Amino acid sequence: MNEMPAIWVRNLVYQVEGKTILKGVSLRVEQGEVVGIMGASGSGKTTLLRCISGLIRPTSGEVWIEGSDIAHLPEHEKMKVRLRLGIVFQYSALFDFLTVYENVAFGLERHRRLLRKEIDRIVSERLAWVGLDGTQKLYPSQLSGGMRKRVGLARALAIDPHIVLFDEPTSGLDPVNAYQIDQLITRLNRELGLTAVVVSHDVVSLMRTTDKIAMMEAGEIIAEGTPEAIRQSEHPKVQAFLKMASSEHLE
Amino acid sequence: MREELVWQEEAVSERLNALHHTLGFIGALWVLLIASLRGLLSGRIELKETLHQMAFIGATSVPIVALTSAFTGAVVTLYSASLLVDVGGGSFVGGAISLAMARELAPILTGIMVTARCGSAIAAQLGTMKITEQIDALRALAVSPVQYLVVPRLLAGLVMFPILGTVANFAGVMGGWVVASAFGITLNTFLRSIQLLTEPFDFVGGLIKTLVFALIVVLVSCQQGLGSRGGAVGVGHATTRAVVLSMVLIFVANYFLAEALFAER
Repeated sequence: MNEMPAIWVRNLVYQVEGKTILKGVSLRVEQGEVVGIMGASGSGKTTLLRCISGLIRPTSGEVWIEGSDIAHLPEHEKMKVRLRLGIVFQYSALFDFLTVYENVAFGLERHRRLLRKEIDRIVSERLAWVGLDGTQKLYPSQLSGGMRKRVGLARALAIDPHIVLFDEPTSGLDPVNAYQIDQLITRLNRELGLTAVVVSHDVVSLMRTTDKIAMMEAGEIIAEGTPEAIRQSEHPKVQAFLKMASSEHLE
Repeated sequence: MREELVWQEEAVSERLNALHHTLGFIGALWVLLIASLRGLLSGRIELKETLHQMAFIGATSVPIVALTSAFTGAVVTLYSASLLVDVGGGSFVGGAISLAMARELAPILTGIMVTARCGSAIAAQLGTMKITEQIDALRALAVSPVQYLVVPRLLAGLVMFPILGTVANFAGVMGGWVVASAFGITLNTFLRSIQLLTEPFDFVGGLIKTLVFALIVVLVSCQQGLGSRGGAVGVGHATTRAVVLSMVLIFVANYFLAEALFAER
């Protein structure tokens, strides 16, 4: 285990409009680890991911990303930390007025001094990783939901992040597309050593892609461990969630 | 008695809320202005996006600005010429319409037409980007939304508004001349009257007004768009607010600008 974790969340509290969404969450993600955050809708898992990415400022607590506390940095300093982070949004969040090429090249053109040829090569390579090379000239509106998610992943990977944060990467996808996304996460982790945090309520997907799962309920982590340990957990809420999720999966 | 107290409390609370919203709006606008000016001065301008916005705010607004200005110039001339010709003042018609266009009508029409056409579109686009997480995606890619979205629109507005103001001036005076000629006023008399009654500062002052209106339209529309919440309905509200607030602020600013620029003349 490395000295410095990739992500270290400490006593994170997030309140908005009088409601407490996160109630002192702590989580440690080691370098090269794939961690899943599981929980029902409204349990605070997406809020936790947004705090980790620095998109929202927590009320209190710390979020250490490779040694920088992103929660307490000014916006221009956060930008530097975000260059080490790739974020894949739930609904892709592709820039709808730009082509697939322009979306994937977006970060490169602004943060790397590269020749056009080199940018073309990186864009092609990242799109090939997600199985979409050749779609460069298409607009997001011409892509299916699964393709948009994969372009979102290619865009996040273009700037060579150390850590990738996935927000519901398989939600709304058919089982084949969901499986492809899972395979991609596993491959990126094995081949590139990427650290990943996957927020999802898709138990099957988390069980096959992650090294560790944290189960969230009402703004707190109520169980944490390997997929097997979570499966064996005797916590009634974990068991209820797994039971519901598996019956939903079977249906 | 008790009911009256509750009613009074509610009235005070409503007023405090309104004050809170107003102060919040002014504060957000101020913060956006400072951030945009800082972005503008940083020199890291998104050239492609700026050119795109210049075409959108400027080039594609020319027909509608020219058309509305031409008919406004025509109708103002229709009233003024019928009065002035009757009292033997037909030789002042050109100057009157030119002065009215340069100082008031051209800047105001430019502001109003661009608000309706582009302010609403800016608020709707940025609002949609906000609710579909595209603004978050920009920040996730370490790109400032102000630098990428607001600065190009502001720069495009500052460059194109004075050009549109000039187009409005020209179209308004041309519209006026067409009507004036129907009252038997010759082109020579019309032009001599313009020369006699208007000064270069009347045009310059009008163009200064358009610069302030550009700031208002772009900043209010961007601020409302970026502050959108709550799905399609939220974007709709933001768009409406952007148009209404921009127009109101244009009329308010116009009075103070007229006072500052032309009161002594």
